[in-house]
Amino acid sequence: MSTSRDRDKAEARARYEIELASLYEEYYDRIARYACVHIGDRCDAEDLAGDVFLKALKSLDSYEERGVPMQAWLFRIAHNLVVDYLRKKTKAIPSYAGTVENAFQQADADPELMAEQSIRMEKVTRAMVQLTADQRQVVGLRFLGGLSSKEVAQIMKKSDGAVREMQRAAVERLRNILAIEG
Amino acid sequence: MQSPHPRWERVRVRVIPKMADNFDQTLDRCLDRIRSGEDIESILADYPGDTIRLRPLLRTTVETVQAYSYSPAAGAKRDARERFTAALTELRETRRQKQPWFKRAFVRPATWAAVATLVVAIVVAFVGVRPALSPLFSPGSQVLPIAPVTSAGGNFAFLISDEVNAIADFESVIVGIDRIGLQRQDDGKWIEFKPEIAEVDLTQVPGDAVQEVWRGEIPSGEFRQVFVYVDNVTGVLKATGRTTEIKLPASKLHLSLPFAVTDDSVTSFTYDMTVFGTGNERNQKYMLKPQIGESGARQDPRQQKEYPADKGTGNGNNGKSDDRNTSPGRPASLPTPTRKNNKE
Repeated sequence: MSTSRDRDKAEARARYEIELASLYEEYYDRIARYACVHIGDRCDAEDLAGDVFLKALKSLDSYEERGVPMQAWLFRIAHNLVVDYLRKKTKAIPSYAGTVENAFQQADADPELMAEQSIRMEKVTRAMVQLTADQRQVVGLRFLGGLSSKEVAQIMKKSDGAVREMQRAAVERLRNILAIEG
Repeated sequence: MQSPHPRWERVRVRVIPKMADNFDQTLDRCLDRIRSGEDIESILADYPGDTIRLRPLLRTTVETVQAYSYSPAAGAKRDARERFTAALTELRETRRQKQPWFKRAFVRPATWAAVATLVVAIVVAFVGVRPALSPLFSPGSQVLPIAPVTSAGGNFAFLISDEVNAIADFESVIVGIDRIGLQRQDDGKWIEFKPEIAEVDLTQVPGDAVQEVWRGEIPSGEFRQVFVYVDNVTGVLKATGRTTEIKLPASKLHLSLPFAVTDDSVTSFTYDMTVFGTGNERNQKYMLKPQIGESGARQDPRQQKEYPADKGTGNGNNGKSDDRNTSPGRPASLPTPTRKNNKE
């Protein structure tokens, strides 16, 4: 009996390992961008994205499908690591100081385009700081993480409706700050 | 102040939140469509009543997404991948060490390879070479860590071909392939595998000739993109006998070409790449790029596909003739591949 259970567990573990590895290419980028929104430093955000996969690998035994897709689980780990990071850095709200410079230091694109993108990102990041932490998380998970509102609700342990409401409030707030016309 | 009509008050209390929730749902659906690449105006066309309110919000969303549309540094990503791969390998090794010796022997690929070799040797000695044995060597069993589940035979074969352009200038063009990635249509996940034949000489596969580099079992479904991660390209010119540089547009050759893989058939995907000349006669340069028009998938019934008596009809062959090599049991006329032994 227990041998059969062990075998099932081992098979599930092997399946999850393959699934986790297959998510790496796409979700590393998304998690790095999500982390960048919260911690305001691209290099640290990229390190953190790598740490998310290592942590996920170590915690794979605790992962159970139960309707939570693995990508949503990865963002939950990412969020916990972001919180730890900010706590260590004693940053209640990220300052975003140097974010834009860091973000484009290694880019090998056209300098003019880089400058344009840099200004754009700076403008949006300054607007993001003015959102509540929850709103920032919704925007990060939805727009940069590419998750559905249902998956965001699972990560934030809130109802779908609450997430949609926060999302609308966040976008309206960003719209006002960025002064985007209709 | 008391409402002149108490019932109105109740109605307002109930209806207003519902309307707000409806708008939240509409916005949510619009944001999903933005994420999937639709443009704002085509989305708004479906919500004429909410256009004025939705338009600025959708523009804000696009602005936010585009502001963060940078790609993380390739070096950082590569380092993180290596750390992840090392951790995964270590974890598997530790797990393997904890198993009893007889279980270890069964999961150890080298042992399997030795057993398989012995079986083949015995069969060859007593029965002679039969094509039906070749699935024993289904490639992909060494793929780590981003690997599809593989098995003998398999439902998917990956083939390389060369559209004739500047290939006649070369004595050989060896393309080293590190790995191949397939992106699923539904969830965008990647399936990656290492080719069993990691080096292909494009001069040996011109036009309709092909070289199968991998065969195995992958999850069925629809796929939208194919990446071939190229390690190196070495070209030797006929005229001088010297090695010349063949540039790559990127470290991976990218094709956006939808195709489907099913469990009950064998999908053979032919990835056509070509060397073409740039510059002038005095300063000739060469580049390797994928050819979407010559690439494509075809499907054949599974049993028939393994060792076809005839060539099958196939579908979506994108202009390639039906006598392409689509199985390991096929044509003696095929060039002998440059094999890189991936096995331990």
